[in-house]
Amino acid sequence: MIDVIVSEWMKLRSLRSNLYLLACSVAAVLACAGIAFMIGRGFDHQTAAEQPAFPGNGDGLGNGIAVAYFVFALLGALAITSEYGTTMIWTSLVAVPRRQLLLLAKVPGLAAVALVAGQVLAFAMHAVSMAVLGDRAGQLLRDGVTLGTPLSEPGVLASVIAAGLSMAAVALIGLGVGAAVRSTPGALVVLTVIIVVLPVVAKTLPMPLRAQAGSFMIENLPLQIAGTGGGTLPPVAAAGLLVAYVIAALTAGAARIATTGRRIKAVAIGVAATLLVSAVPAVAAGPPDSGRSTLAWADCADEELVKEMRCASIDVPVNWARPSGRKIGLTVALLPATGAQRRTGTVFAIPGGPGGSGVEDLSANAGSFAELRDHFDVVSVEPRNTVDKGVLSFDCLFSGPWITWPDNPREWAELGRRNRAAAQRCRAADPEFFDHMDSASVARDMEAIRVALGEEQLSFIANSYGGRPGIDYSRLFPGRVRAMVFDGAMDPFMDRAVGRRPHEEAFTRFAAWCAANTTCALHGQDVGAVWRALVARADRTPVPVRGEPAKAAYSGLDIKQAAAPSVIEPGPAPEFPRWTQLAEAIKRAADGDASGFADYVRQSTKSPKVPSATGMNMTHCLDGIVFDDYEEYRAKRREGERLLPNLAGIELWHPLGCVGWPTPVTNPPAPLPAGKLPPYLGVGSWTDFGRSADIVRRVPGSAAVQYLSTGHGLYNAGNSCIIAHVNRYLISLRLPAPGTVCRPPAT
Amino acid sequence: MRYGGRLAVDDLTFTVEPGLVTGFLGPNGAGKSTTMRAVLGLEPPSRGEALVNGRPYASIPRPMRSMGALLDAGAVHGGRSAYAHLACLARSNGIGRARVAAVLDQVGLADVAGAKISGFSLGMRQRLGIGTALLGDPGVLMLDEPLNGLDPEGIRWLRDLLRTLANQGRTVLLSSHLMNETALTADHVVVIGQGRLIADTSVTALATHFRGDVLVRASHPERLASVLRAHGAAVTDEDDGALSVRDLDAAGIGALALSAGIALAELTPRGASLEEAFMRLTQDSTEYRTTSMTAGTAAGTGSGTAPGPAARTSSGTAPGSAAGATGAKEAVR
Repeated sequence: MIDVIVSEWMKLRSLRSNLYLLACSVAAVLACAGIAFMIGRGFDHQTAAEQPAFPGNGDGLGNGIAVAYFVFALLGALAITSEYGTTMIWTSLVAVPRRQLLLLAKVPGLAAVALVAGQVLAFAMHAVSMAVLGDRAGQLLRDGVTLGTPLSEPGVLASVIAAGLSMAAVALIGLGVGAAVRSTPGALVVLTVIIVVLPVVAKTLPMPLRAQAGSFMIENLPLQIAGTGGGTLPPVAAAGLLVAYVIAALTAGAARIATTGRRIKAVAIGVAATLLVSAVPAVAAGPPDSGRSTLAWADCADEELVKEMRCASIDVPVNWARPSGRKIGLTVALLPATGAQRRTGTVFAIPGGPGGSGVEDLSANAGSFAELRDHFDVVSVEPRNTVDKGVLSFDCLFSGPWITWPDNPREWAELGRRNRAAAQRCRAADPEFFDHMDSASVARDMEAIRVALGEEQLSFIANSYGGRPGIDYSRLFPGRVRAMVFDGAMDPFMDRAVGRRPHEEAFTRFAAWCAANTTCALHGQDVGAVWRALVARADRTPVPVRGEPAKAAYSGLDIKQAAAPSVIEPGPAPEFPRWTQLAEAIKRAADGDASGFADYVRQSTKSPKVPSATGMNMTHCLDGIVFDDYEEYRAKRREGERLLPNLAGIELWHPLGCVGWPTPVTNPPAPLPAGKLPPYLGVGSWTDFGRSADIVRRVPGSAAVQYLSTGHGLYNAGNSCIIAHVNRYLISLRLPAPGTVCRPPAT
Repeated sequence: MRYGGRLAVDDLTFTVEPGLVTGFLGPNGAGKSTTMRAVLGLEPPSRGEALVNGRPYASIPRPMRSMGALLDAGAVHGGRSAYAHLACLARSNGIGRARVAAVLDQVGLADVAGAKISGFSLGMRQRLGIGTALLGDPGVLMLDEPLNGLDPEGIRWLRDLLRTLANQGRTVLLSSHLMNETALTADHVVVIGQGRLIADTSVTALATHFRGDVLVRASHPERLASVLRAHGAAVTDEDDGALSVRDLDAAGIGALALSAGIALAELTPRGASLEEAFMRLTQDSTEYRTTSMTAGTAAGTGSGTAPGPAARTSSGTAPGSAAGATGAKEAVR
């Protein structure tokens, strides 16, 4: 047998045409270089904002692999069809009458050549793709991978090696097809169908059929073997399939070359082996994770939601301390995975607020999750503390008392009485429910959803106040967290005044803008001095709002609370409309009319001054955003005045809303079980990065990315750079290097 | 056995003796190549079996060492050099490179060993094919039309070579459709037609058997005929009144005519060539003259070698068992 193998190796080597054919595989490298060049050019022509949405070039092999396959398939096919074409086969069969031995003896030599040449070619294709892309290769894209993936990226070395192996496999498939067809043109037709036509046809199918069919194409197997994309098969199944294709092709060849009597045996052995190497790994890898959900997904009742969203209802106990007690229903929404890639699991988007509907947010921001859904189902919930849930009056929860800044215990007690009265008004409809609006209950609801989804673990994107239930979930169910992103998250661990320092920096930017721009109504004045004089005077004598009763007059604290959102969010450059409005409002207030602020506040609250919304306080006050007593308040106020020269008091706004609250704190902040948690990712803008970073630094191995501009809820808002880093983390659990930042597009 | 749906070889049994060059003769389409392919396992017989050294050729490890075969000098890949071609085949049967060089020398291709076969003439390809058969230094050689394309010098070389090999005690079987050429090379001939054995005889016996007749024109042909018949001759009437006389030579006929007082007008010995003998043997079976034939019996062709270089080709058909199995009658034109 060794003699025959060596003989076949000599046959392969002694034909110069084989060498020329192998040399033709350089065309694959050229294809890679050419397409990488065009991708690079196309990428350069995109704006910085569009670039992250560009399709990646991956390891670069995909562009030329069909060419490489064609050459290798031809090499394999010719090893036998050239014998039929020249009738050399009869001479060969006289020398080696055992026909299947003759065919299979061609395998080792062919495989050896193809293995070596395949690796050389694969690495050359990769290297040239990366070289042509140059520095652009490092650009992180929204789908979580870089424009070009170098060998240092996880899985890339494996995918390049697997691509080289697949070329060797294709050579053997070519041999099998050649033996089955017995003619070079015939083999060319069959192999063209397998290598070129079928993948093209698969790409024309509708999703998810396209992805399912595409996963079985040879050209998509290397990435799946490496686990870096390419389709829906787990690595072991993809590898098994590649081997199965080879066995199936060789079986066809062996059956055809065999004399009649031995054909059945060859087919039987081949079919058994094919099934063994393809089906067993597929079964061992288990069925796809989906389908174990016990939630009854159906079309969402709310027709405003995006069409592909599915909704379900889950009953959770109102009081988690009595699980068998009264239940309430929560609406859960699902944006299903696209099926383009192997499903990794489920991402839970935790809404902010408190009281925001995750269902509406997820629908409104569905575009931000498009790339993530190649790997994940994305779910969210209309949490129990959603203000328009309907159990408690929306109007009651949406409104609340105006907050004053108590200067003495009498005023403190008076604030408490007002707050309590407002809370009782809403609470009366369902006191038990009202008393269980804490974030820990929200976190337990999330766990109930996890169980219903049938997921072992969940990944999370916690947005804004959603950080609090995210932290509580981490604390209560650390083993269920695969990954968690805090995006501009609420930080219960950080001193509230320290947390507002970015607002002061924003105020400094506002003042600098005014100094530099004539469009600012305060241009030419010392904005800081004008502002501080205004709020000091207003604290002594509130500034009336034209057309409103005297009690609507703005104190200094009211002015700060009304101005803060505009200070940190100037609106789009270069006009900065909200800074322009703010400067005018300040100017009018300094002239004795606060209606510039009132007009703005009225738009979002239907109130001339910012109310302390009961719907938010019902969670805040249980989550421990409170002062223990008047003395603590005084101490915090003094500390705030020291840290925040322009905006002192805004940090006190929420805890002041809980003075006199009828329900005690049930969910005080507690430390994260750091050792039991995977590394986290924090992201945030100038304003809110510090809080996200402060949370994740409590979990070893975590990282944070700052967006060097304004914004809040960056992932939902579709910030491509942030989405790229978050997706990379959620998909492959890889974190950005320390100090990584995202820059706004240059204007 | 069948070839392309047509019965090609049917109940064929013959023996190829060691030490002799045996010619395997038959008109085109008689089944010579099919028989050889069956022996080599290239065309599995539909019934029966083909054995070499008591076992199927395909089951012999390194079969080139037992039997060397040339089927088609064109069955080569033109892209290889003669050396590479032989080296590949040699290696498959564990034959060393020294033997490859020796064979190239023996068949006269040493000078062009490194040249691509695509540039070879038909004669050079025949030499290469013969070289392939010789690679394993086999005891049995089976060559299909080896003389095709050889120039006169080549034909002479091959005759000498085959003679030498036979003299060494090897069994040599070569096929041809040309009797005269074969008669010059072979000691023994096996003639088949339409897949059936027609003659299995020595070349000498064949020549004797078909040595010809004597044409006689006489004044009294009827009387002469009876005289000659009385002396054991076979006499037939020619159309024009002449007599065709066999088993009695011209001198004998003349003497008998003289003693009987019959005047002879003509006395012409007519020597039959082997070619004519061949034609006569095969005329009933030549494919393109046959209007119908009976199909149904499948034949196996086997070769059992006695110790030493002898080959025996025999039918493996159970007599009659398959006769009329298909009952097919095919008209072939």
